[in-house]
Amino acid sequence: MKAIRNLFDKAKPHFEKGGKFHMFKSVFGGFETFLFVPNHTNKNGTHIRDYVDLKRTMVIVVVSLIPALLFGMYNIGYQHNLAVGETADFWQTFFYGFIRVLPIVVVSYVTGLGIEFATAQMRGHEINEGFLVSGMLIPLVMPINTPLWMIAVATAFAVIFGKEVFGGTGMNILNPALTARAFLFFAYPSFMSGDSVWTRIGAGNHAVDGFSGATAMAQAAQGHPITYSVSDMFFGFIPGSIGETSTLAILIGAAILLWTGVGSWKIMLSAVLGGTVMGLLLNIFAVNAYMAVPFWEHFIMGGFAFGVVFMATDPVSAAQTPKGKWIYGFLIGFLAILIRVINPAYPEGVMLAILLMNVFAPLIDHYVVESNIKRRMKRATVKA
Amino acid sequence: MENYINLFVKSIFVDNMVFAYFLGMCSYLAVSKSVKTATGLGLAVIFVLGITVPVDYLLENYVLKEGALTWLSKDFANVDLDFLSFIMFIAVIASMVQLVEMVVEKYAPALYTNLGIFLPLIAVNCAILGGSLFMQQREFVDIGEATAYGLGSGVGWFLAIVAIAAIREKIQYSNVPAPLRGLGITFIITGLMGIAFMGFMGIKF
Repeated sequence: MKAIRNLFDKAKPHFEKGGKFHMFKSVFGGFETFLFVPNHTNKNGTHIRDYVDLKRTMVIVVVSLIPALLFGMYNIGYQHNLAVGETADFWQTFFYGFIRVLPIVVVSYVTGLGIEFATAQMRGHEINEGFLVSGMLIPLVMPINTPLWMIAVATAFAVIFGKEVFGGTGMNILNPALTARAFLFFAYPSFMSGDSVWTRIGAGNHAVDGFSGATAMAQAAQGHPITYSVSDMFFGFIPGSIGETSTLAILIGAAILLWTGVGSWKIMLSAVLGGTVMGLLLNIFAVNAYMAVPFWEHFIMGGFAFGVVFMATDPVSAAQTPKGKWIYGFLIGFLAILIRVINPAYPEGVMLAILLMNVFAPLIDHYVVESNIKRRMKRATVKA
Repeated sequence: MENYINLFVKSIFVDNMVFAYFLGMCSYLAVSKSVKTATGLGLAVIFVLGITVPVDYLLENYVLKEGALTWLSKDFANVDLDFLSFIMFIAVIASMVQLVEMVVEKYAPALYTNLGIFLPLIAVNCAILGGSLFMQQREFVDIGEATAYGLGSGVGWFLAIVAIAAIREKIQYSNVPAPLRGLGITFIITGLMGIAFMGFMGIKF
């Protein structure tokens, strides 16, 4: 640790004003503050300082994503074995998924961080930390068979048009990872939906007879009975995007987020409430098999849990006011199940529900603040 | 009754004037700097669309369409005044907008000054004429459907403009690159909002 510190101290003068690498100051600063908590004091603005700065916050989210990532890797191998009818031990299975998922993670980080570094240099601001999380979220919401260049294009789109044009981390209106997924979803629908994208078969292998690869939601949407057991759906042994399948792994992540206070429990709870209300409503008025799916099964299939825990709670694009968070979360759960069940074009509604509520979050905040002002104006004795 | 509600909801979300057809963009982009003025203009658009679409529906079905004049006399069965529909629709819209303008000026003078030229310009707002022309194209069966469609389209436009106004108020503090400030970033936001609204596309009731 000390050696690294010394290395940084030695290199620092070169990056100060007048040094030969001054133009790369933000790159240097980015690495330094990533490894060490910065010791400089603020010149103006807020003076409250805490060890948990933006970088530490982001790292907590990345840590909470690791269970989902590791399980996702294992599940890729597991689904592959099921599809081609092989048997393999735990480590072989995990390794199969590991070497398929790793390139996606690398591509996402390299593309995104490359653009981040470049814009930071161009615009002369510090390197933003937000992409640490987005770069991990993007691979987790992609189907395993997505070509790597698509990941790169989507990441570039999300970082540039979803974030950098607004001025970088903390300024975006839509969640960047979801922007990337929505971009691919509408630009290359055949790679993002259907039954064949979720399971890696691999060249030279053939799927066993009777293999379909359909996700639980695709089965439900087509009116077939869901062939996956509840425990499989909960633990995640089902086809799906890399990180979304295991509700258990996501719950571990949620526990970390809630324990550290990084994720908002209000949003998570109200989204589940919203989903419950919509699920029950659909159950009451059920006219087809999908509407009759018990409401709690919606929480363990597809990306509901993943979206609610990791995407909806994004502190930048979510509503900021406490009351706004309740409304925002509730509508996400409500709309997610609604789009899922009644829109035949999209089997998955969570992504679009969250994006839609991202769009309306500033409006919700506006009305919450306005109503607060109105309420307090009534108490005021001096008329404005 | 059910199909009125369906049509109403559908024209708000699925066939949203702004995000599905990108109509009415000029005032949408120009008056969306604050939620307050955006709300005012949005309400005016709801009102104008809610009146003009049914009125134009009556015009279309009892005056303009081929054979529409048979209620006057059997001799008019072959008369087709469809070529007049643009000018008739515009005339209805313009008179409605005049009415709104007078009401706003009388009861909300502050809003009147804020909206400025964009209030009379509702008359040439393509979302309004678009509403009437879509009505003509879709051949609604009765005036109730036309009203539901007009009001729904208005509410959809209202939602779009207040949402973007709130976003623009929020990003006032963002460090947007200088060349994109103002209209540029607004176009980008509109595109991103369009992506979010695509979730409703394809819903059939």
